[in-house]
Amino acid sequence: MESEILRALADPTRRAVFERLAAGELSVGALKQGFDVSQPAISQHLAQLRKAGLVSERREGRNTYYAANPAGLDPLLGWLERYRTFWPDKIERLKTVLKGMDQ
Amino acid sequence: MSDVREAAVEKRSIAFECDLPEAPEKVWRALTTPEIVSEWLLPTDLQPEIGQKFGFRDPAAKDAPIECEVLDVEPSRSIRFSWRDAEARRDWLDSTVTFEIAPTETGGTHLTIVHEVHYAAAIPQRAATTAVNDNGAMSMRLAA
Repeated sequence: MESEILRALADPTRRAVFERLAAGELSVGALKQGFDVSQPAISQHLAQLRKAGLVSERREGRNTYYAANPAGLDPLLGWLERYRTFWPDKIERLKTVLKGMDQ
Repeated sequence: MSDVREAAVEKRSIAFECDLPEAPEKVWRALTTPEIVSEWLLPTDLQPEIGQKFGFRDPAAKDAPIECEVLDVEPSRSIRFSWRDAEARRDWLDSTVTFEIAPTETGGTHLTIVHEVHYAAAIPQRAATTAVNDNGAMSMRLAA
């Protein structure tokens, strides 16, 4: 899952699409503005972002709206895990250093 | 190690706290003097001034320093700085570390360390800062 997210975001246009949608829900048409790529290309990017769980779609009548799903990034945040042992180790060292310091 | 408690574990932040017998002024010095921080944390050129860019060099990570910037300082109370290691930079993550101290009733110090992570781009107000810092030509002024 993590590699799928990274793959989805590795493409600069796709990443820009995701960031645009993070600011608010948009239709493909509205999203296309500001991008120098065709609508089918945008749709292709959206499909990949959806597959990676980063974007959700909502249909309303004949229109489809897309929005970023920030929770889709959660697997990346596992990065923090390594610091769960890092900080307690450092605090122990801090205690030792404090004992050796002058007032 | 047993008296270092893990105070909170969420998806996006971890926090640790402990009571130290030393007075807050002394602990503050240990948390903000580069030579002392280099002894217990990682070799650093930290300067506790807002906007100051600095780094930590993890000897195990070869030439990939952790890039930091002081975001907030309340002297003798708290310091908050950004923390981006090589992997965070690769994955567009951004994190912040906060050291906070408070006096205890017995003349010692209560220390809290909070480490929070967020995705750099999904949070609009962070995105601009990240873009500017991406090429971070950080200079390490480390005493050998």
